[in-house]
Amino acid sequence: MRIALILILFLIFMIPKEACAEDIAALEAQVKQLTQVVYSLKTTVDTQQQEIADLKKTYQIKYQTPTPQPASLATILPPKFTPEIGAVADVVAKLDSSKVDPENVNRVSVRELELVLGSNVDPYSRLDATIAFNDKNEIDLEEAYLTRFGLPFGTTARIGEFLPKIGKMVPVHRDSIDTVDEPFVIQRYFGDEGMHKAGVDLTKVLDLPLPSVHQVTVGVIEGGNGDGGTAFGPARRRPTLYGHLKNYIDITDVTNFELGVSEAVGSNDNDASFKTNVFGVDATLRHTIAQDKEIKLQGETFVLNRRESIDEFDATTNPSGDFWGGYGLFDVRLSSQWGAGFRFDYVEPVDRLLADPNKGEIGYTGYLTFYQSEFARLRAQLSHIYLTNGSIDDRVFLQGTFAIGEHKHKLQ
Amino acid sequence: MFKLKYLIRKSTVITLLSCVALSTVPCHAGENPLKVVATQTMYSSVVKEIGKDRVDVKYVAPPKFNVHFIQPKPTDVRNITKADLYVDAGLDLEAWSDSLLEAAGKPEFFRGREKNVDMSKGIRLLEVPDHQLSRAEGDIHIYGNPHYNMNPENVKIMAENVLEKLKSIDPANASYYEANEKAFISRLNEKITEWKKLCANCAGQEILSYHKDIAYFADFLGLKAEQYIEPKPGIPPTPKHLEFLEEYVKANHIKAIVMPTYYPKDAAEVLAKRVGAKVVTICQNIGELPGTDDIFSFFDYNFNQISEALK
Ligand SMILES: [Zn+2]
Repeated sequence: MRIALILILFLIFMIPKEACAEDIAALEAQVKQLTQVVYSLKTTVDTQQQEIADLKKTYQIKYQTPTPQPASLATILPPKFTPEIGAVADVVAKLDSSKVDPENVNRVSVRELELVLGSNVDPYSRLDATIAFNDKNEIDLEEAYLTRFGLPFGTTARIGEFLPKIGKMVPVHRDSIDTVDEPFVIQRYFGDEGMHKAGVDLTKVLDLPLPSVHQVTVGVIEGGNGDGGTAFGPARRRPTLYGHLKNYIDITDVTNFELGVSEAVGSNDNDASFKTNVFGVDATLRHTIAQDKEIKLQGETFVLNRRESIDEFDATTNPSGDFWGGYGLFDVRLSSQWGAGFRFDYVEPVDRLLADPNKGEIGYTGYLTFYQSEFARLRAQLSHIYLTNGSIDDRVFLQGTFAIGEHKHKLQ
Repeated sequence: MFKLKYLIRKSTVITLLSCVALSTVPCHAGENPLKVVATQTMYSSVVKEIGKDRVDVKYVAPPKFNVHFIQPKPTDVRNITKADLYVDAGLDLEAWSDSLLEAAGKPEFFRGREKNVDMSKGIRLLEVPDHQLSRAEGDIHIYGNPHYNMNPENVKIMAENVLEKLKSIDPANASYYEANEKAFISRLNEKITEWKKLCANCAGQEILSYHKDIAYFADFLGLKAEQYIEPKPGIPPTPKHLEFLEEYVKANHIKAIVMPTYYPKDAAEVLAKRVGAKVVTICQNIGELPGTDDIFSFFDYNFNQISEALK
């Protein structure tokens, strides 16, 4: 507005004295015009000012959060380029009635100290690694794999060393299982601590017009077993192919059922033509009663079919080379601090240098778990085992599992 | 026996192949509602208020359980693989959320990514730690208290967060979402005035809470909450701590012990009996109790409960 006034004054002063009357009239008209413009501008400015004030008022009503904020998220979030780092210590004391195996009995040991690392690599993938140390000064690279998300057809791929999705128990980390030791069928066929292998696998949730959920995984991993396993031969260069189909349904809001089928095909010798077929079925029924109160019934069975080149055994004892084993688990979470359960085991050993290869190992296991907090857990376990050689073995385990840092469990 | 196994093997392979074949059949196209998965009922409710019939919303955490400790199910994984948008609490309230998104293989829903709505954005956080944290302090909230759903003023900020994202991924319906949000906010403003009036008796009084999940509720009503039944977040009460609380409640004339439905009630009830206080249910989740099924009835219930208890 001021500028407009100055402009008008300037124009008035600029009028030459000898200007003619006509010019003056024209100028007067111009001044009138300009004044009108100035007034219309002023009203516009006034109304806008009023609108701004109104908006401010409504804005303040809408957002009563005081400014400035005491702490913005940007200042309190740690820099996220450092990977998630966690450690899990697994301390086990074991008492065994057996006199035959002097090595792993009656001792307290740090069975494992797991160092867990993980982070997103880029917008498409994530790297996870687990390095396990034990008190025999051994280091084991349990996992080191890249997960590639969002591949065509909604598939997710894993590449590297990982726990293959064979059945229900093999893919689960040791610190997440319900008992101190793996079920016998897992120990004897896949390895004392389960099995981790280098390979590639693809997982996809199927898009079917059903209320149930179906997820399929197919993979290729290096051959062989975990330590102590006997399902496959020791040759790591002949790969094992595997597939898993998970079928899941919510029966009610609090009850659900899962049925899985797995198949793994590998070699049991250096010769590629000798095949081991492992077929597995797993079933899990879960019922949640309330917060921290849950019942779980889980069972899993594996059938092993081995074709041998030279049948060094009497063909009548086990002509087809079929073996099977399984377990049934009943687990109850009683409260936020207590849990208990029971496991039944049966497994036919692949080791044929036995008096009666059709006779399996039978185990009855009970356990009680105390959760001191979310990150510290104590467990007592008692096992009564009928070994294939006819002897009976009683084992007592005491276990403490303690976690520090960041350690997120993968969804199973 | 071998033949049988061979057959089983064959049938497994056929099953797997047919499943893969079925899954590649293209999905129905056309004017479908936007598919949204929210971590909790509060967020699914906010999305529904703004998206109305143009959104199809599902939630992960069942409202009768503690949202800190949820075990997501394969059904949630499947819902996420089909979704267009994911809404979560941000911060460290839902520690299970990252694993869920990884299992679904949807990196576009990860924190900070284009199809993730972080409801904590713009919320004035309370109890932000001012020192280096340690787990010796319990299972604490590392970024500040994440239970911000308990203050209806914060619902307005959440609505703004949802509106912004819905507009950006579905610009064709922007004006529809805007109109719904405006109507929702004005109704909420009316209710807030009503709730403040109802709870005028609460201001300045002190309450005892089970978990450190009441700060925003207390802030809204001008309540004081400084002690908890849990000696440290996530740690169950000890006899020694309960003894201390007995003295504390008496000395400070505390009338109400507040807690949601999913924590064990025994310790609070014993304490309440000894000191002559009341145990009051204050829901943390929409739908935690019958009759708390939407945003308004949820806050109605909570504010009625507290104002009644502190009379
Ligand atoms: Zn909390």
